[in-house]
Amino acid sequence: MPELFMPTPIAPQPKHRPSPPPITTTELTWSTPASPAELPAAVPQSTNTTTLQLPEVRHGARRTSPTNIAVDETGARRRKGRSNPKQNPKKRAQWKKLLWVKQDYPDNWVDPTFLKDLQRNINVHPYDFYSLVAESTVVVQHLASAVIFVTSFVAIYIEVVSPVSVVAVSTMLTVAGWAVWDMGWEKREAAKERAVTHKDGGYDRAVSNNNNGGASSGGSVSPSKGLGLEFKRSHHQAHSSGSYFPPFEGGGTPASAPVSPSKSSRSPDDDPPEAPHQDQSEQLRKTRVIATAKSALLIYFTLLGLSPILRSLTKGVTEDSIWAIATWLFIANFLSFDYGSGIERNFPASFSTNAAITSSVVLASRLTDTSHVFSLMLFSIQVFGLFPVFRRTLKHMSWNLHVLLTVVLVLGAAGGLMFVVGWGWAVAWVLGVLVGMGGCGWWMIDLQKYKNEIHGPWDPARPVIRRQWA
Amino acid sequence: MPYNIACVPLLPQNALSANQAPAEWSATSSTPSRVCGVESHIYQLASKLSDRGHKVIIITHQYDTRSGVRYLTNGLKVYYVPFFVIYRESTMPTVFSFFPIFRQIVIRERIQIVHGHASLSSMCHEAILHGRTMGLRTCFTDHSLFGFADAASILTNKLLKFTLSDVDHVICVSHTCKENTVLRASLDPASVSVIPNAVVAENFQPDPSKASKDYITIVVISRLFYNKGTDLLVAAIPRICEIHPTVHFLIAGSGPKAIDLQQMIEKHMLQDRVEMVGPIRHEEVRDVMVRGHIYLHPSLTEAFGTVLVEAASCGLYVVCTEVGGIPEVLPSWMTVFARPEEDDVVDATCRAIAELRRGNVKTEKFHKRVQQMYSWTNVAMRTERVYDGICCGEQASLMDRLKRYYGCGVWAGKLFVICAVVDYLLWWVLEFWYPRCNIDVARDWPAKEIKEVKDGSGIRVGKKRSE
Repeated sequence: MPELFMPTPIAPQPKHRPSPPPITTTELTWSTPASPAELPAAVPQSTNTTTLQLPEVRHGARRTSPTNIAVDETGARRRKGRSNPKQNPKKRAQWKKLLWVKQDYPDNWVDPTFLKDLQRNINVHPYDFYSLVAESTVVVQHLASAVIFVTSFVAIYIEVVSPVSVVAVSTMLTVAGWAVWDMGWEKREAAKERAVTHKDGGYDRAVSNNNNGGASSGGSVSPSKGLGLEFKRSHHQAHSSGSYFPPFEGGGTPASAPVSPSKSSRSPDDDPPEAPHQDQSEQLRKTRVIATAKSALLIYFTLLGLSPILRSLTKGVTEDSIWAIATWLFIANFLSFDYGSGIERNFPASFSTNAAITSSVVLASRLTDTSHVFSLMLFSIQVFGLFPVFRRTLKHMSWNLHVLLTVVLVLGAAGGLMFVVGWGWAVAWVLGVLVGMGGCGWWMIDLQKYKNEIHGPWDPARPVIRRQWA
Repeated sequence: MPYNIACVPLLPQNALSANQAPAEWSATSSTPSRVCGVESHIYQLASKLSDRGHKVIIITHQYDTRSGVRYLTNGLKVYYVPFFVIYRESTMPTVFSFFPIFRQIVIRERIQIVHGHASLSSMCHEAILHGRTMGLRTCFTDHSLFGFADAASILTNKLLKFTLSDVDHVICVSHTCKENTVLRASLDPASVSVIPNAVVAENFQPDPSKASKDYITIVVISRLFYNKGTDLLVAAIPRICEIHPTVHFLIAGSGPKAIDLQQMIEKHMLQDRVEMVGPIRHEEVRDVMVRGHIYLHPSLTEAFGTVLVEAASCGLYVVCTEVGGIPEVLPSWMTVFARPEEDDVVDATCRAIAELRRGNVKTEKFHKRVQQMYSWTNVAMRTERVYDGICCGEQASLMDRLKRYYGCGVWAGKLFVICAVVDYLLWWVLEFWYPRCNIDVARDWPAKEIKEVKDGSGIRVGKKRSE
């Protein structure tokens, strides 16, 4: 008889066990273990069989030896008890998932409650096909802009297009883009601030909680964070007094204006200027334009000065090495690009940008003239450094414009391909983009069926700690 | 029938030294969190099996300068195999390099059963593979719980699947551990036995005179790691101290989270109420435990939790988180369970304090009950039953083994088959190169005379081994 010291709460067990499916050797054959995907389905089945079938039946199965473990001094009694469980149900107490009770069951007993706490795919959410396709436009945009850059380079390289005209067009577009970007500045800052305020608020709450908690709290906590806050606040004050200049900004454009006080700087108490401060915001705008123009000029002249050096930097490297290096760098650019982030990030994926710029540096060494090198570098900074920021902003501003931009970019890339290699490639590109967008979305949804997350009592628990004391 | 058994564990440094029981234990060892408690298990199990007439040898890799063969008490023989240790006592996972020396040991000692411990040890997996190649019976004991999500777990699980697809029997320390292992290695649940750990109850005698009469002491003995729930402890201690002014804490163990505890003590000025005694040796665990009234165990994952049994044996009321295999270990009248949440840990501890004050808990009865629940003799007997089971089945042919390996996965299956085939060929090369007849058979340690071992469920007579 089992030694029960005290009744413990036990999950109710089914009184009537389902009749077992006819046992086949394959069910228990070792050579075909259940794959992870089908395991949870397979295990309860074998559970049934092991519960009800006698060792004699399982002799046909491969793993006969384990069942024989029950054969010992008490084995005969056990088998007797098992062969007619309905006759003497009271003789044998229910199995319990406990270790401290000596139970009248073999050590390898598999109870019907085995794996009942198993949970599968509890965190999986299904994807929607059209939203997947819509999101893939971000990838397509990046791909298309890279194709436009490469085709422009090829056109410059084979000397059918003047690089100066290319960069002139792109600079005009960039300035136009900057204008659009600058229009939405106030609104975007407010949106960003909302996100940041949320975060800051969370932190403040934690800190204040903390302060309530212990007498000498905060002392060890706030200095680091508090200092940061102070520093940025002073920045902000400088900002509002009009003497604020953002730090180094890129190429006459959107790139980096928001480096400033935006991100984690503003805490909830210093609110943005409101309508009455119209003139102040106008002044701010003016400051911003001046600062941007200043940094644009800085970049312009730096690039101009560096162009002769860049031209000869990899001149000694053979042509095919250059193509290989450039290809790999572009692949690195695609793979590491930050497709997911929204406007809250000012400089997303610096590695990706660096890879693309480096790639254009090595490509530039194939050009003959310093002015060509300068044009190509400027073009690449515009395409890979500033354009992503604009795309991000546009997506935030208007979904329709975002789709329009995608179409324009895809068609522009197709035009570039047609111009450089032929119309067949252009058609292939457009078709590839369409099929890729649909196909990858479908593939992603299709792959979801292989999802097999397993959770159970063996998972390390996640501690719930209400008060973050440090 | 007595067996010759080779245990292949991964032992932390200094775990087994000559003529000495396991010296260092989880509270002090520097090994990765999951392999602790294993060494004590092996030592106790091996000596009990020796008492029952079997011959047990332990094969492990060398530690610093300790290599070669050593004898422990009871004629327990330990082979420290020279190996190149890469990091923290982990050996290079070479699949085949261990085979020649392993074969020598197996033939010298006339080994019949290879029993591997701890799924993190590559040596254990190798030994099981080679043992199967040589036609030995194999058994594996799993002491740990693994998740399924992170990359390390996925790799370990794949390796486990490889080894366990051709093992004769698996032993798990708790039912939760069994569920976990069955899922991880896609096993037939009937080939997995649950045999819990045990404690040497004599070493954990209660001593109420050591505990304070004026205030309640809560003892915590654990390595201070994240997965031992030290964060919960850090959060809960100030609140408990606030609610109960007469409660003191006694914390033993070391680890990266010790600094958090220290900061908490300073911040809340609890220096006179929370004592941190630092790392302690296994022998000292009992002396620390008997100074307390309540044992608090806020672990986040635990396959068995031997320390809970030890605490109960010392007559401590146990407060623990309800994770892993912990709910199976002790009856509810010895424990208060909490969810792994700060609030609930505080609540449960307060409930325990209230119960103790009211005198509703008969802690003086704990020791005797624990003694009845867990004994190494019982564990050895049940393990022996497993050995009996695996030794009476027929041997699988090479083709059967290969089929099993092949079923492990699309790519992994083929890789495993290649490994098994190479291992088999290597065995033949070794048989040809260093024939069996040239290997001396080691003389056995003089076995004890016929001895009766009594246990609750029957009497078994150990036989004289070496005739």
